[in-house]
Amino acid sequence: MAYSLSLGLLYLGLLCGNGLVSARSELFTPDPSRGPHFTGCRSREQETFRCWWSAGIFQNLTEPGALRVFYQTKNFLSEWQECPDYTRTVKNECYFNKTFTQIWTSYCIQLRSVRENITYDEACFTVENIVHPDPPIGLNWTLLNVSRSGLHFDVLVRWAPPPSADVQMGWMSLVYQVQYRVRNNSHWEMLDLESGTQQSIYGLHTDKEYEVRVRCKMSAFDNFGEFSGSIIVHVAQIPSKESTFPTTLVLIFGVIGVVILLVLLIFSQQQRLMVIFLPPIPAPKIKGIDPELLKNGKLDQLNSLLSSQDMYKPDFYHEDPWVEFIQLDLDDPAEKNESSDTQHLLGVSRSGSSHVLNFKSDDDSGRASCYDPEIPNPEDLASLLPGHSGRGDNHPLVSRSSSSIPDLGVQQTKEVEETPIQTQPAVPSWVNMDFLCQVSDFTPAGGVVLSPGQLNSSPEKKKEEENEKKIQFQLLSDGAYTSENTARQLSASVPPSPGPEQGYQTFPTQAVEGNLWNGEYLVSTSDSQTPYLLPEAPPAPILPPVSDYTVVQEVDAQHSLLLNPPSSQPAICPHSPNKHLPAMPTMPMGYLTPDLLGNLTP
Amino acid sequence: FGLSLPAVAVLLVALLCLDPHCRVGSAPICAHGPSGCHIPSLADLFDRVIQHSARMHSLSNDLHSEFEQYFLPSKNHIGKIYRKCHTSNILTPNGKDNAQKLAREELTEVILKLLMAWRDPLFQLHQSMAHQQDFNSFSSNKALEMGDMAHELRKGVEKVAEKMRVLGMLGNSVTGLSAAEAMLPLSDSGEAMSDYELLYCFRRDSNKVQNYLKILKCRIVPEHDC
Repeated sequence: MAYSLSLGLLYLGLLCGNGLVSARSELFTPDPSRGPHFTGCRSREQETFRCWWSAGIFQNLTEPGALRVFYQTKNFLSEWQECPDYTRTVKNECYFNKTFTQIWTSYCIQLRSVRENITYDEACFTVENIVHPDPPIGLNWTLLNVSRSGLHFDVLVRWAPPPSADVQMGWMSLVYQVQYRVRNNSHWEMLDLESGTQQSIYGLHTDKEYEVRVRCKMSAFDNFGEFSGSIIVHVAQIPSKESTFPTTLVLIFGVIGVVILLVLLIFSQQQRLMVIFLPPIPAPKIKGIDPELLKNGKLDQLNSLLSSQDMYKPDFYHEDPWVEFIQLDLDDPAEKNESSDTQHLLGVSRSGSSHVLNFKSDDDSGRASCYDPEIPNPEDLASLLPGHSGRGDNHPLVSRSSSSIPDLGVQQTKEVEETPIQTQPAVPSWVNMDFLCQVSDFTPAGGVVLSPGQLNSSPEKKKEEENEKKIQFQLLSDGAYTSENTARQLSASVPPSPGPEQGYQTFPTQAVEGNLWNGEYLVSTSDSQTPYLLPEAPPAPILPPVSDYTVVQEVDAQHSLLLNPPSSQPAICPHSPNKHLPAMPTMPMGYLTPDLLGNLTP
Repeated sequence: FGLSLPAVAVLLVALLCLDPHCRVGSAPICAHGPSGCHIPSLADLFDRVIQHSARMHSLSNDLHSEFEQYFLPSKNHIGKIYRKCHTSNILTPNGKDNAQKLAREELTEVILKLLMAWRDPLFQLHQSMAHQQDFNSFSSNKALEMGDMAHELRKGVEKVAEKMRVLGMLGNSVTGLSAAEAMLPLSDSGEAMSDYELLYCFRRDSNKVQNYLKILKCRIVPEHDC
């Protein structure tokens, strides 16, 4: 009965009271807005406990004895007993010593005013649930190691369990929690619970001061005790330049070494690198000219070579085929194709011909007046040369190779290294056009002395030096497309040489008597004549020194070009006229101008 | 007769193995002497059981906290005030001094009584938690584990007691607990206790067992400052 009554009271107290102390203890701060209430109960070592209360707003109850604490254990006794010990030194504290402390027992305490017989507050708990262990003691730290950079370090923190807690016997099994922070920082770093009495802290920064503290609680319970006093952990940063020094040195030397290597590489492989990074602009190739021939051949050969090239002929030659010097062929350009007279003359075949010059005695389209039919034209010769058929790609005119220019004449059967020389699959259009007749000299009467295949400009200077000739030839050979290197060489070594356009006139040729077929559009060496031309050329002593072009002076009724007035000229080209042309004793050298062209058309 | 040779052999083997001597059992490794064989000492045994009881208590604490958190958010719940556990009838020392003053045999017996008393209720707890949808699977597994732990702990403590008796540390007053002493948890009103009450009571009792074992060890195995 009494039991149920007390139970009901308890229930009422719970419903009405706000200061119920649950199994978890509360804070100590009294609530001044309330009446008398318990502020908390705590046990330090699970053997004794204390309870505190506050009078609250009821100031008239502050004198001692006004409020009293009664407790009741829920084991067997259901009587309310008063607090066994009101602590004298501390105000409003009730202390339960060992004899009055029962673990695993529910306690209920009440705060009553006996005079008024009012129960202001009540709380129930069990002692093991209100245990807050004392803080650990003896907190210290030792340095574990410092990182290689000297920026971080690790410490080992040690402590001892609170002396009040009986951990020896295991009456209290404690777990600890270490916290640390940078000094004067507001955030504490918390480490995991540790059941031992030491803990390592890793990754602390040197030159920073750290605060470390520790607290403990009973394992499997939730109430932490107070924190221990903070200790300061500080490690001065050692200025270790050594660690960074080798690294920077190594880095610097490595970079220098790499740079040196690169420079060496570049200088050693300069040429190749130049080719890779700055590829040379391919020089246009002149069809039909073997670069090796240009380099090593005789000037006669070169002359003939060059005379056969397109570039020496202005375009309008192509457009106006009838404008050609000798050839008065007014036929359509279709005739200029592969079955040209020249081809027939030369007997060029696809399979590759030897260097025998086959000259047609007839069927020369107007060349007869200027050239001996037997005498191979420079262009005929040139047609033998590589690239005549228009395969100019195979024979870059400019070539720095040192291969010798094959001798077309002497080694007729000599196989040239470059196959294109031998094969003339197609004769380019310009082959159909006869070459210019060279004016070798001017007669006092005003006539022009022509010499076939010889490039001469007698008025111009004659250059005996082989180098000059060759160089000039090279320049000419490149034509308008002289490569830079060649030009450099030329300009460096040779006094200003005339441009290609003037090449015909400027290249002095030796008056090589009996040297019909030098084909020298360039000056050949005095000693070496282009042998490949030479044997084929029947001597034509009648031919005066080299003359370049024949000027077409008039056109006669048969649509023949009169290159020279028949009366005034020596028979420079005294030969039988070709089919197309009447006998034209001379061939004036020169280009046909448009007005002259008009004269041609009947 | 018709029995072939293999059948006869099988029969023979079966007969032989029916013999208890032939039965395959766990032969002790250390039967031939202590050479290279580590027989756990009493201290080691005590450490093991204490460790086990600590784990059990921790588990019970977790379950209790979970229950409190999910089902009793208000701390002012009436049910928290007072519970009478079914093990309240067992006289247990309520303090360190009392436990230290108690005889070893009695202390051991108390421990065994407590553990025995919780065998069925823990199984009951697991059953009810597993059936309820409110609990997640973790809680129900914890309850099952807790029940197994209690069972194992009881076996362990019995072994320790056996060893102590062999070593002459215990008198013969320790009697084996019979199944009749296993009580059914009943509250005052005769109703079955709720899950929360069971958890509350077991948490308390597991803490008791842990501390009693520690005290017992300290008294049986003399250590420094114990």
